[in-house]
Amino acid sequence: VPCVFCGLPKPTNITFLSINMKNVLHWNPPEGLHGVEVTYTVQYFIYGQKKWLNASKCRSINRTYCDLSVETSDYEHQFYAKVKAIWETRCSEWAETERFYPFLETQVSPPEVALTTGEKSISIALTAPEKWKRNPQDHTVSMQQIYPNLKYNVSVYNTKSRRTWSQCVTNSTLVLSWLEPSTLYCVHVESLVPGPPRLPMPPQKQCISTLEVQTSAWKAK
Amino acid sequence: QEFRFGSCQVTGVVLPELWEAFWTMKNTVQTQDDITSVRLLKPQVLRNVSDAESCYLAHSLLKFYLNTVFKNYHSKIAKFKVLRSFSTLANNFIVIMSQLQPSKDNSMLPISESAHQRFLLFRRAFKQLDTEVALVKAFGEVDILLTWMQKFYHL
Repeated sequence: VPCVFCGLPKPTNITFLSINMKNVLHWNPPEGLHGVEVTYTVQYFIYGQKKWLNASKCRSINRTYCDLSVETSDYEHQFYAKVKAIWETRCSEWAETERFYPFLETQVSPPEVALTTGEKSISIALTAPEKWKRNPQDHTVSMQQIYPNLKYNVSVYNTKSRRTWSQCVTNSTLVLSWLEPSTLYCVHVESLVPGPPRLPMPPQKQCISTLEVQTSAWKAK
Repeated sequence: QEFRFGSCQVTGVVLPELWEAFWTMKNTVQTQDDITSVRLLKPQVLRNVSDAESCYLAHSLLKFYLNTVFKNYHSKIAKFKVLRSFSTLANNFIVIMSQLQPSKDNSMLPISESAHQRFLLFRRAFKQLDTEVALVKAFGEVDILLTWMQKFYHL
């Protein structure tokens, strides 16, 4: 049913929230329409192309978000999206996003961290986060493949001495030697992608204790 | 940290600073661009550029940005209070340009010609627009240009 633009306020704060290329459009309901059964319709646009396209999964929806990951999956491109509010036969004007560049704006989550310990050493194994995929059985793409220069900022906190040591690494394994035995160490890891400033993600945190010193059997009584 | 556009090496430029500078202007500048159906730096201009081609293409694009885009856009940018960021970008483009010495060797002719065709694709699109509109659009696409340049940047 076509609606008539007349005075219905626009949705507000329309923006993309993007993590590992899962690109979800979010907005707030129009102000001043409490208790009114408003629905929304979303369209998107590929910068440099000719026309707005309907987001097929987001026509006359009640929720205030729309997953546009499929529509915006070609990260060589930049996009716009817009949403309008509809109430009975009335609708608002479109509320539009800024130009959205997933390749530069997606947040990259921290890697998976696996710790193994020795008496005076900790081995840290890092696994890059996975790119969003439409179906769980789809082929897995690592964010490392999208950003070959992906780095990790590894911080190690000695809970006994309360001292922190940090290093930026590119490889996926790191061995810390010359540590104190029987000491709890906490490891924080975040992903770093060269390029424009991105919204930070909470780091991956894990703690592990180094082993006790093994007194060898032959020690003289 | 340096750029390596094939055999062309460029030092003394901190790319994160260019990103920071553009990012403070991005939304202001891109909002001025109403002709969203046109993209100057189309994917075909920058896709699969070989290392050997990259020096020629970087030289052509940066020269155009300095002599045409930055030069004429400077007067408009003042009112957006982002002059410092604009200067950071322009000065760094000058540093890069001054160190880019594409080879004039005859053996490189096919490669330089291929790079030139890419550049012409960009410039043709630019000239098809009204000059003011084209300036705003080209400046708004510096993120596309920097994304391509990032591939040749080594820490």
